[in-house]
Amino acid sequence: MGLLTNIHRKIIAMGLVPKLLKQLPNFGKVLLLVSFVMMAIIPLDGQYRRTYISENALMPSQAYSYFRESEWNVVRGYRTQIEEFVKNGTSMEDRNKLVASWLQDFGVKTSVYHSEKHNDTLYGILHTPRGDGTEAIVLSIPWYNGDGDFNVGGAALGLGLFRYFSRWPVWSKNLMIVFSEDPRESLRDWVNAYHTSMDLTGGSIEAAITLDYAGNGDFLDYVEVYYDGLNGELPNLDLLNVAIQVTQHEGMKVSLNGIEKDQIDENDYFSRLRTMGLGIRDSTLAGIKKTHGNEAFSGWRIQAVTLKACGNEGNIDITTFGRVPEAIFRSVNNLLEKFHQSFFFYLILAPKNFVSISSYLPSAVIVSIVYATFSLDALVNTPFGSPIFYNTESLLSLIILSVILIVSYLFSQAFVYFPNTEVLLGINAILILIPYILKQKSSLLNEALTYRLRVFGYLYMSLVLTSLLVINFALAFVMGVLAAPMLLVQTQSSGVARNTKSAIRNIILLAISNPYFSILIISNLTDTEMAGTVIFSKLVSAWSDLHCWTWFVVCIGWFPAWLLILLSCLQCPSSSNVDEQKKTQ
Amino acid sequence: MFGLSKRCNVVQLASALLMLVAHLATAQEEVENKIQEEDQVEAVQDRQPFRVLSDGMQYPYKETLDVTPLPHNHLLSSFEFEMSSKPFFPGVSSSGYDQYDHYTVFPRAIEPLLRRTFTKQLHLRFTRGYWNSEEWGRLPHDGFKSGGSGVELWAVVEGSSKEDAYNKWKSLANTLSGMFCASINFIGASDTNYPMYSFKPDELRKEGLPLFDSENELFLMHASLANEPICTENLTPLLKLLPSKGKSGISSLLDGHKIFDSVWHNMAIDVTTTCINNPKFENDGECRFEMQANVDMAVHVPSILARNKNPIPKPLDGNELHCDLSKPYDAYQCFPAPAQTEIQFTLSELFGRNISGSNDLSFTHSRICAHISDNWLATIKLDDGLFGTDDNCFELTENRFYDIYMESGSTDVILDKKEAPIYVSRSLTGYGQDHGGLRAVFNNPSDETVRLSYYESLPWFMRIYLSTLEMDITSEEYAQLTLNDIIESQYYVPAIDRKRSTQLEFVLAIPPRSTVALSYQFDKAILHFTEYPPDANHGFEIESLVVTILDPVPYQLRTSTLLLYLSTPDFSMPYNVIIISSTVMGLIFGTLYNLLTKKMVTLEEAEKVLATRTIKYKLLMVKNRILSKLGLLK
Repeated sequence: MGLLTNIHRKIIAMGLVPKLLKQLPNFGKVLLLVSFVMMAIIPLDGQYRRTYISENALMPSQAYSYFRESEWNVVRGYRTQIEEFVKNGTSMEDRNKLVASWLQDFGVKTSVYHSEKHNDTLYGILHTPRGDGTEAIVLSIPWYNGDGDFNVGGAALGLGLFRYFSRWPVWSKNLMIVFSEDPRESLRDWVNAYHTSMDLTGGSIEAAITLDYAGNGDFLDYVEVYYDGLNGELPNLDLLNVAIQVTQHEGMKVSLNGIEKDQIDENDYFSRLRTMGLGIRDSTLAGIKKTHGNEAFSGWRIQAVTLKACGNEGNIDITTFGRVPEAIFRSVNNLLEKFHQSFFFYLILAPKNFVSISSYLPSAVIVSIVYATFSLDALVNTPFGSPIFYNTESLLSLIILSVILIVSYLFSQAFVYFPNTEVLLGINAILILIPYILKQKSSLLNEALTYRLRVFGYLYMSLVLTSLLVINFALAFVMGVLAAPMLLVQTQSSGVARNTKSAIRNIILLAISNPYFSILIISNLTDTEMAGTVIFSKLVSAWSDLHCWTWFVVCIGWFPAWLLILLSCLQCPSSSNVDEQKKTQ
Repeated sequence: MFGLSKRCNVVQLASALLMLVAHLATAQEEVENKIQEEDQVEAVQDRQPFRVLSDGMQYPYKETLDVTPLPHNHLLSSFEFEMSSKPFFPGVSSSGYDQYDHYTVFPRAIEPLLRRTFTKQLHLRFTRGYWNSEEWGRLPHDGFKSGGSGVELWAVVEGSSKEDAYNKWKSLANTLSGMFCASINFIGASDTNYPMYSFKPDELRKEGLPLFDSENELFLMHASLANEPICTENLTPLLKLLPSKGKSGISSLLDGHKIFDSVWHNMAIDVTTTCINNPKFENDGECRFEMQANVDMAVHVPSILARNKNPIPKPLDGNELHCDLSKPYDAYQCFPAPAQTEIQFTLSELFGRNISGSNDLSFTHSRICAHISDNWLATIKLDDGLFGTDDNCFELTENRFYDIYMESGSTDVILDKKEAPIYVSRSLTGYGQDHGGLRAVFNNPSDETVRLSYYESLPWFMRIYLSTLEMDITSEEYAQLTLNDIIESQYYVPAIDRKRSTQLEFVLAIPPRSTVALSYQFDKAILHFTEYPPDANHGFEIESLVVTILDPVPYQLRTSTLLLYLSTPDFSMPYNVIIISSTVMGLIFGTLYNLLTKKMVTLEEAEKVLATRTIKYKLLMVKNRILSKLGLLK
């Protein structure tokens, strides 16, 4: 304590406080850099950890998997029939009816869920003798996968697997099989109905595995595992580890976050950085991007992963792929408690490497501190002497913020019902230019108010990021970084912004920190799926189909803060009298 | 919590084994000496392996086994054992010196227990598995002999007050817990309910159960342990209660390995007191305890037979696959054929044992009946001969090994399957950890209105809102019906935290050919951290809903149990809390200590004092002192 008091006394004695306060913007910029560096060092050796199974009961791949040999004939038998569906263009109803009869043959109780808005979903429950009927494991097979291809291999494999499961006496949880029309809205609707209004239920769902094998071949190259849930939710790391471990144990290579086949084997700094970066991207865009099926189970404490067979050239046969869900089912079947031992928040760097939340969360915290720093800067470093927080400007700013919040909310809702991208981008383009189009000085805004608006703008952004960063790290981090240019926007009336050069700089900064333009640019740069302005319709459909609230976070979290900063750029009566007062002092 | 009783059992077993080993070691020599004598005895026993009782020793005991094929190659086996005690006069003490108790076939363990706890009726159920009533029809014994998944106990106890009756009930539960190696002792006040409409409380009183003391009253109490694991240690005590001890007669078939390997199994014990209420008879007022023990199990025959052949269901050989010949099949592909309808098996294949003779204790012989259609054949196998009867019932008259052989060419045809009068399912709804909902669906497939009683007991940490009770009816014909039209009467005992569970009973009338869904919402309470069981993240088992049909046919069924998740703390958190609170306390103490022990001075004074503490100043002082010693200081 003594040491600290000494330093404190020294700082006071040297008059460092005002000097340091003047350096707040630079301090903020350094913090932002620190945040990047902290993320960048995560893939360095020694910073990440090897994955491990926390829950001892899981014992992945400890039991021998018997889904092989003549089971392959059965899978092929089913596949030939499913190929007929494609050939004959069998309707959804007939297809479900036929598959239901096959399932009933070996004792599966089936039912079809008729969704009001979306397509029908066939599901079946295998009541197992050792089970108490209170828990279930789900095998979900979308008829059409995320790419829109007919899931021939997946459906055949699912049927073969369930027939095989029905012969085993070991199951202690109900087994459920779900054939939804698509891995997105229909499946989500089914999951939702399962927890609200379904008559035939099999207890609470512990884990869900989605199978995706679109081809009608017998072989595959490698397996892609998808795990990102909606709204930043991830499956328990134990389930993901089991899935990866089992897949590798069966001799298949695992690709995460869509890593290409020739890059799977790489494990150096840059490959880990890439996997992590892609992981952050995929987590931010989960539900907005192409969905694979696991997203639909997000929530209700269901842990879900998707296994996707890729390529049809390799020497891995379809039953090998089938042994993966078999072994995962066996593992989950061992559980006496819900998944709770391992991490729910993590970043994956390689199939067998991860970092837990404590390693990456500080970066997001620092980003939100950067906004707080700039907010403090706008409060303290004004030309109006010592800052008073409780004054008319603060009240006015709060009123403006409230109005903007309401407007933003209505705006976000309006776009959900009338999704017109041109109008959205047009309005925003006009908004960006408003400060430079309006030559008339607004009598409402005085210079003190523009500073106070910036205080609340940055503070609001900081609060949004802080409350978001634990729930949805990826979104908070990406949003914080993308919105960062607005920190550098100068108020129109401050001396610097009076010349044309800085006005253009302001326009550019406002444009790239505008939520919609920023999303548009970054999605086009990072994701090949997101060509053009498709991102906006996808954001809206992610909300209406899956209840993924990224659109509202952007509209009610980011947009109001940006609007406040924009307002602070409006031309206002110069506070020359203030300057004069200062001079006279 | 649940492991406790099981573990104690293992410990007992282990110590017994140890003693046995020690005993064997010392006795080994004697044994060797006796071997020669025994060889001769064994030779005799080979021919006559059964104990033969002298004529005339016969007791009120009856045992039957009913074998009923169910659809899709399932088979229901129902064992029934009936026995009754010696007559006694209630209220007359039997503790006199000149009297003695003789139990004969009635279990020695049960009768004193009933007397001590003033229990008039006792019903104990051990059930597990899934009864597929849509396919298999009604439950055996119309559901009155089966319980919800886990253990269920209800009893009629005589007591002077509710509290007195509860104490006796608690004592009864504790004794049964030890007797049946189940956690029944965990039944406490917060699990015990007093049913109003279900379990026929009115009829019980009308039946005129005798009172030991005419001022006492009868209390019906019910409790259940949802999803209590049922295992061999529960079966063995049940077999011990039988006079044959599972050694002879049909009870010799009962083997834990096979019973608990079934799709659905149920063990039931019912004891009632019956009295003669007719002044014309000499023995008016005489009572006896009558006990029925039932073991029911449903198995899937082909999988048991396959398991006998190969315990691991490995992939079949290519040529053993049954392919659907109407679809493409070759050496590479095989669309599985529908389940086979030809079947042949013996009971010994299903139970892993033969029937060891008959029972010699009773007036009637052990009896085995097969309830089969004409497509079936049932014969009794004696040595190598097969013998059939007209009514497919077989009396076991001799002390020999029996077996039953059954076969059918078309298992789909079974004897008149009795459709269940109603199908009920129940599920948890909702999202999140602070509230949820319950939804019970009643599907009445019949053409008449079904009146039923709904009995639900919920733990206190489910705080239900009866105001949210909603009804949803699918049939358009009855769309205008409201909740009040469906619910004829209701009985609701609200829960008291940690003391009493919620008891919810309705009498409902479900209109014909309609599906009615009742749903309501509840809040999840937060428990004290010591109230969580060791497997806190498993969730909490909610006992099944008991539905008793009042009209048109008496029938009882239970839904499956539910697993409720409460918000569960991270149990390593106390450690973090200790660390953080210690740090805060340390900081407060340090500051306070500083304030108390240090002197407040102005900044100038402090700087003066500080100036004297620098090394430079000290060196100067030393230098000065040396200089002054040398006299060089100016």
